[in-house]
Amino acid sequence: MKPAAFAYLAPRDLDEALDQLAEHGADARVLAGGQSLVRLMNARLASPAVVVDINRVAGLDALERHNGTLRLGATVRQRTSELSPDVAAHAPLLAEAGAHVAHAPVRSRGTVVGSVAFADPSAELPTALLALDGRVVVRSRSGERTVEADDFFTGPFTTSLAPGEMVVAVEVPVTTAGTGTAFVEVARRHGDLPVCGVAATVTRGDDGRVGATRIALCGAGERPVRARAAEDALTGSDGGTDAVAEAAARASEGLSPIADCHGSADFRRHLARVLTGRALRTAIDRAAGEANDV
Amino acid sequence: MSTVEDRPTTATTGSPREGERRWIGRSVARKEDPKLLAGRATYVGDVMLPGMLYGAVLGSPHAHARIVSIDTSAAEAIPGVAAVLTGAQAAELVNPMPAFCAEPVPQTAVAIERVRYPGEAVAIVAATDRYIAEDACAAIRVEYEVLPAVVDPEAAMAADATRIHETLDSNVAFHRVLDFGDVEGDLARAHTIVRTRARWHRMCASPMETAGAVASWNPFDKSMTVYSNSNFHNFLPWAFAGMLGVSTNRMRMIPCAVGGSFGSKHFITKVLAIAGALTKATGKPVQYMEDRVDNIAANDNVGCDRIYDAELALAEDGEMLGLTLKIVDDYGAYFQFAHGQHGNAMAQPTGPYRIGSLRYDVSCVLTNKVQQGFFRGAGADPGNFVLERLVDKASEVMGIDRAEIRRRNFIAPEQFPFKTPPGNVYDSGNYAAVLDRALELAGIDDWRAEQERMRAEGRYLGIGLATCQERTGYNASEWWFLYDNPPLPATSTPESVKIDVDAMGGVRVEVGCPLWGNSPETVVSQVVAEEFGIDPADVSVTYADSTTGAMSAGPGGSRLTIMLSGATRGAARTIRDKMIRIAAHAMEMDPADVECVDGTFRAKGAPGTSMSMADIGMRAALFFHSTPEDESSGLVAVHTYDHPYSTPPSDDRKDMGAFYPMVSHACHIPIVEVDVETGLVTLRAYYAVNDCGTVMNPTLVEGQIVGGIVQGIGAALMEEYRYGEDGALDTPTFREYLMPSMHEVPEIVVEHLETPSPFTEYGVKGAGEGGRLVAPTAIASAVDDALKPLGVWVDELPMTPERVVNLVQGAGGGS
Amino acid sequence: MSEVVTPEKVRIRITVNDTAHDLLVEPRTLLADLLRGELELTGTHVGCEQGVCGACTVLVDGAATRSCLVFAAQLDGATVRTVESLAGADGTLHPIQQAFHENHGLQCGFCTPGMLMGACELLERTTAPEPDDVREALGGNLCRCTGYQNIVKSVCAAGAALATERNGQA
Repeated sequence: MKPAAFAYLAPRDLDEALDQLAEHGADARVLAGGQSLVRLMNARLASPAVVVDINRVAGLDALERHNGTLRLGATVRQRTSELSPDVAAHAPLLAEAGAHVAHAPVRSRGTVVGSVAFADPSAELPTALLALDGRVVVRSRSGERTVEADDFFTGPFTTSLAPGEMVVAVEVPVTTAGTGTAFVEVARRHGDLPVCGVAATVTRGDDGRVGATRIALCGAGERPVRARAAEDALTGSDGGTDAVAEAAARASEGLSPIADCHGSADFRRHLARVLTGRALRTAIDRAAGEANDV
Repeated sequence: MSTVEDRPTTATTGSPREGERRWIGRSVARKEDPKLLAGRATYVGDVMLPGMLYGAVLGSPHAHARIVSIDTSAAEAIPGVAAVLTGAQAAELVNPMPAFCAEPVPQTAVAIERVRYPGEAVAIVAATDRYIAEDACAAIRVEYEVLPAVVDPEAAMAADATRIHETLDSNVAFHRVLDFGDVEGDLARAHTIVRTRARWHRMCASPMETAGAVASWNPFDKSMTVYSNSNFHNFLPWAFAGMLGVSTNRMRMIPCAVGGSFGSKHFITKVLAIAGALTKATGKPVQYMEDRVDNIAANDNVGCDRIYDAELALAEDGEMLGLTLKIVDDYGAYFQFAHGQHGNAMAQPTGPYRIGSLRYDVSCVLTNKVQQGFFRGAGADPGNFVLERLVDKASEVMGIDRAEIRRRNFIAPEQFPFKTPPGNVYDSGNYAAVLDRALELAGIDDWRAEQERMRAEGRYLGIGLATCQERTGYNASEWWFLYDNPPLPATSTPESVKIDVDAMGGVRVEVGCPLWGNSPETVVSQVVAEEFGIDPADVSVTYADSTTGAMSAGPGGSRLTIMLSGATRGAARTIRDKMIRIAAHAMEMDPADVECVDGTFRAKGAPGTSMSMADIGMRAALFFHSTPEDESSGLVAVHTYDHPYSTPPSDDRKDMGAFYPMVSHACHIPIVEVDVETGLVTLRAYYAVNDCGTVMNPTLVEGQIVGGIVQGIGAALMEEYRYGEDGALDTPTFREYLMPSMHEVPEIVVEHLETPSPFTEYGVKGAGEGGRLVAPTAIASAVDDALKPLGVWVDELPMTPERVVNLVQGAGGGS
Repeated sequence: MSEVVTPEKVRIRITVNDTAHDLLVEPRTLLADLLRGELELTGTHVGCEQGVCGACTVLVDGAATRSCLVFAAQLDGATVRTVESLAGADGTLHPIQQAFHENHGLQCGFCTPGMLMGACELLERTTAPEPDDVREALGGNLCRCTGYQNIVKSVCAAGAALATERNGQA
């Protein structure tokens, strides 16, 4: 189990990286933490001719907050994000979901952006990004564009990223008072990819009823997906037990989950309902609380 | 109920109460540790020889296919590639893999013309490094004609099923029904018969180190040197030599440190054949290590894969009368080890109970999967699962408390040695004492109260219970006695040890077994220390290669501590006796008046006059004229310890004989919580009371038991090979084939009771497999107990979240 | 589409167990293979090559890292520590190794170097780890022999031993 040969490029700044990506197009893969890519390369499920290692690119490791947005650069490690007081305070869902990713040594190398760009339909962080109504900041030699998380994931391990482009950051709006978030999952073994996971954000309106709600699922389709029927069911409700149950019951509507050795499609639909109920209950409780206790 | 007429005369009677023991029974720290901790042990993957090449295997992507053509030209053209061999080419260099089966199921390390399981080797490569070897594999072009895959073992039995081997009339390679005792009578007499259809899926040993070999062929003197992690280098070296086409006296097999085996690396002929073919093709040393996918997909380390239709007949008072087991066992594509796992299971099918009759109906079925090998438990593991499930069911159906129904049926201490219906003999035990202690240790009443409290909250806590046997110390007859005309009716499982005391009194021991992750160095040092009264730290231990004449079946069947202590004691006594004679001669005394105490030889009861080990060592080495007349120079002894108590099977196979008579026993009580909505089962606590006779080294025995329990947690909750309908293996890496991590393991509390074996030196029994032999069924019992309000019955492992949810929903519970 | 790129070797300067190396490596050479092959440090073991088992864990710039998921070419300027760095040349075991020895924290020894290096990282930042800290740090390292109980115990004991040692030096 050894990778095929490739050319290794280690750009020092973003322009150099973008030039290299432009030159090699679809032949190139970006290497950040490598905790998924190198695994695929070892199994020769990925054999890029060129690997562009962005770990030495200056300026990509910033984790910053301004104007109500939290921005994580392409080489911000998952462990850094998970332990960041800024993330804990302003995007606790990202921290909560992040703590479920593999194991500490993997997270200390793996990056948040890398997980998003890798677009594993079972992974936690893309799902959290989706539930947080996050954005993906994409750069190429011809400029920068921002893609809504809703539009970024297009299929299993595929995104709307074009050859020559790379993700330079992800951004999430900060979670404000009155909004509660939660991430729950079922994994067959601690640290494994979940069979199914649910990320939820719930906002309490001033009238005490549930306002904006976003529910995103992993392990429930070919990409991280929203449970829109469940969102609709909860929005405007009183957020009580019955409302949550009604929303949870609708969480599997329209899902076409993948099936693998860890669970059938039916089981994933079942888990989508169960976990949506649990995630919503927690998120609603947290929305009612002063702080988002994680 | 049958009992043994007489104590066996061939047994070396143990002497557990002989004097005060200083080292047997103490938790001596492992002698093996420092080199392992320092990263200085040499595993086979660490062996580097000048000019060595690296092998890789191209495996079949199909479960079943005809190989139409193979084009290796592009692979051969890659710089650094030294050889590319197809099955036909490899067959010119090495012979088919030796097999224990009587049926004509030929197997080569590299497939010829047809592949029969996904991952089966189609071509092999040697190159200057592993990366290039894999480049070459990727460049080989194979054209396949895909054939229908036979995946379901019951469907495979149909007369019109696609045949796996044209040499056989059917995919049922072997079928036999054996009745022991009055089965029909017991069924007719029964007040209650409980039945189950149980499914035990295939799992694999998955040692952290895969199997591998470094083979070095010398074409000039036609000799072959092989480093490997095989266990049978001093047991069946001739079989390897035959496969490699080397004369037995020019074959040298060198054992390496082994990164775990759990039964999976006994024979590993495949890796030796691959490395052997490649070294013969290139004239250079070749290392072939399986990668993890090779190991899961194509190693011979898969355990049992059985469907049981079982019934237990009971009298009105709960007395167990008879047991019937109808078993379909999915052996995969080859039959190398025949039905050895059923021979093994025959050691204890009726468990610790006085069950009078047994019907054993076994069908060994071939399918398009990797063949079975051996994995800790070796056939007795599903047997324990099914029997204990039946006992729990009887308890439930008959309204007899599950501890009480067991107590009523246990073989009583005064009934040992006890002859079981199939013929195997149990040496000793006190099962009720183990059960009582386990209930006490677990604090059952507190857990029941906790269970009540949690149920009120809508949570499901379960308390498991299982009381199981662990047969230890096998004899080779288990491999073949299900045949009337076995191809190789061997009866030996020897273990030899060589001890020498040098001129300075230094004690050196050479063992024939390899270091497989257990503790042979520590065990023999403890025994030597016991016999000479020296410190185990002063004993040095080395491992014999196959040119030394050592005899060793090695670790397997939980035999090693039994056999090593017997062999070591025998060799130590021979040397000690000679030293006593030399000392007596020197001190002008009668040998009968000399004793060995604390490493010195002195007059009994008169410590004043004495000689040290070094005094006698030097005298034996250099002072021939100062030793007794009939003594040769030197202090060296080889002792081969054969099976301490075995009898052959009867010709009519009504009695399989005693072949696994050192029988340990355990009671496990796991505490689980089941999330009925997600199906997740969480272990909250785990209690185990074990009786493996005299405990040689409590810390090491506990290590074996805890490790086995955690493998059993894997068997209960996670581990399973899954194949798609097309025969594709869906679990080829550690991302799909799941083993427990630290997070899935609760605190495990282990205690020992000691009922010494009358058959062995010091009264030791084995303890290597017990954890895994008990935990799966105990955890199934706990899940049942948790879900009792829902009326759930577990008859299939592993209990994955999906299976648990299906059970709950099937019972009408959950959401 | 790009021109075909030749996978040229990459020069790295890397310090392994206090020895500086100036090497030309193929881009695809995994750190695990560099250590085990060219540098002959075979104490680092490879169990799955998929980052699942943790057997190949070494310290890269102090961080526990799966050496099967890092290319050597990425490590110019890095400092790597392997299990061979722990024991003294005179055979004195490192306190973590000693704790594994005293608590029977290993059987076959194959996963052990990865466990030890993961424990090293943990004990650099946590002086008195609780069992849950150990599980958090080492939970991704698989062991098939021990059942983990004694590994957790060993690491906790090593923490205590190291704390004593540090206090003694202070």
